[in-house]
Amino acid sequence: MDFSSLYDSLALIKPEIIISVTLVLIVVLDLIYDKNKKLVPYLALLGLIVSGIYILSDIANEGFAFKMSATSNKFGLLALDSFGSYFKLLIILTSVLIVFFAKHSVEIENTGKRQGEFYTLLFGMILGMMFMVSASDLIMIYVSMELLSFSSYVLAGFIKLRDRNSEASLKYIIFGGVASGVMLFGISLIYGLTGTTNLYSINAALQSGNINLIVLGFSLLLIVAGIGYKISAVPFHFWTPDVYEGAPISITAFLSVASKAAGFAILIRFIKTAFVTNVDGSGNWLLVPVFDWKTLISVFAILTMTLGNFAALWQDNLKRMLAYSSIAHAGYLLLGVVVFSQIGIEAILIYFAIYMLMNLGSFYIVMLIADKTGSEDIHDYSGLGYVTPFLGVSFAVFLVSLTGLPPTAGFIGKLYLFIALIDAKMTTLAVIAVLNSVVSLYYYIRVLKHMFLTKPNGEVKEIKLSTANVVYVIVLLIPVLVLGIYFSPLVNFAESCLAFLSF
Amino acid sequence: MLTEFGKIFVFILLAGGFVAIALVAASLIRPKRPTKEKLKTYECGEDPVGSPWVRFNIRFYVVALIFIIFDVEVVMLFPWALVYKNFGVYGFIVGAIFLLVLFLGMAYEWRKGDLEWARPKIEPPKMDIKFKPEIAPRPVEEKTVSEVE
Repeated sequence: MDFSSLYDSLALIKPEIIISVTLVLIVVLDLIYDKNKKLVPYLALLGLIVSGIYILSDIANEGFAFKMSATSNKFGLLALDSFGSYFKLLIILTSVLIVFFAKHSVEIENTGKRQGEFYTLLFGMILGMMFMVSASDLIMIYVSMELLSFSSYVLAGFIKLRDRNSEASLKYIIFGGVASGVMLFGISLIYGLTGTTNLYSINAALQSGNINLIVLGFSLLLIVAGIGYKISAVPFHFWTPDVYEGAPISITAFLSVASKAAGFAILIRFIKTAFVTNVDGSGNWLLVPVFDWKTLISVFAILTMTLGNFAALWQDNLKRMLAYSSIAHAGYLLLGVVVFSQIGIEAILIYFAIYMLMNLGSFYIVMLIADKTGSEDIHDYSGLGYVTPFLGVSFAVFLVSLTGLPPTAGFIGKLYLFIALIDAKMTTLAVIAVLNSVVSLYYYIRVLKHMFLTKPNGEVKEIKLSTANVVYVIVLLIPVLVLGIYFSPLVNFAESCLAFLSF
Repeated sequence: MLTEFGKIFVFILLAGGFVAIALVAASLIRPKRPTKEKLKTYECGEDPVGSPWVRFNIRFYVVALIFIIFDVEVVMLFPWALVYKNFGVYGFIVGAIFLLVLFLGMAYEWRKGDLEWARPKIEPPKMDIKFKPEIAPRPVEEKTVSEVE
């Protein structure tokens, strides 16, 4: 037997191996120290950082891991390329921030002895996402998606004491079960049509012709529904507000950034690897004409951002408002997919890095206020801006950035998306997106109006922040402000990470 | 000539036929001396009286889940056992790692007290967190014995 390809594969997935080993070590540590859970987050951080270093050092490495066979078929279960590495870095960075997030969160601290399980399940999610962003086989996509989903179902209901929490978990698992079933049906149809589950072989089979395009289109819709559920695109978004409101807020933040990033990575990789027949000189993709790709994804994008923004207008619960805002942001990000070109993908990469910072920042401040006042309702925010100016001002920056106004980083993210749209001569879409941003301005600024302009009913207590809280906010705040002015390093890095493995 | 599925079909027919013949032959040969105990529904030694819609101890489910997890995982060892000689020392190490992870699961259940049948004490949830539950917890309805039956 030939093991050399197996060893090569293991060498290519070092970051994932480190995450797995850390997961096991966390379980062991959890078992050894039954009472004291202080060490667990630090072990988690160590694992994440080592894994991140390996991703950075191997970012130029390319290759297929777990090939079908060493000689005849060169395509494997995982395609390691810089596009995947970018998303892996994003996921690791988000996870590092979420570990600190959970460490500061009163909700998670109150779970006491179960904290060890929290981090174990978190690492289950991270592992699933890391395999997902480089999966190049339908089976691998499905398995990694399930690994991510199962951990997140449990985590969404991690605080058992609140009814909302169990409701979130139940709704999530029911929607998730249906979505993954639908997706599996689509996968089985594609396998029936092409005789393979590997994305590269599917591409070859599609190019050779003789495929029933109607059945292919149907199966594609089913798979897009499965992925659309992960990125909470309308009409597959129904779970999002309830789950985001009920889940512990650190998990809400994680789901809204990392899980969405993994979903977008797999959507882009799926389309790019399986359906692109050719890339022309200016980087535009020529797709297999299953149906009108641009119209289909544009409709999804317009629906997603419009519904997200308009539903967010009526929300009084901050977590729910941010949930709808994250649906709207998924809509903006879909615009980058609609373009079907290198520029669009680059815009998505830039947007995600910025979105991570500003979204985590907003959720963190909502958590700080909720931990102290016990409320996420917008009416309880009255007067908070004057009592704790630091929180008020930094929340203002994050929200303005989410709207996409200069001089914050959110503006740069939106700018690159709209440039990509106009470059592809899709001015109508760009106009709709800008109008949507205007709508979003209302509900973001409404929070600030309550914080600074509304007279509070009674005495507003000051929110005491620990040094760690202040440092965390500043760590997120500085990049949001700096990237709004000096963004070329991020753009250059995203540009260097556009390479897909092709054949 | 039979196709591959044809062979399976013949196999199914034979299997069904064997069961039918065995049952018929047994009913012809065996002595019939029914008693009350023999005619009762077999229910693992439990007295099969009353409605089946009663509450089980949740520990039954935990034990069943633990069993299924280990059962499925140990099945994975069969293909390994068939070929590990070809893999040499590395194959052995891979199997050992797999068993080690399995053992970790076992240790986890042991340490978390899931293997003990009678749990020493159920900790009532403490409501000292800042969040108020939006819906007040439902008062436990105390049912009398006659109501349960």
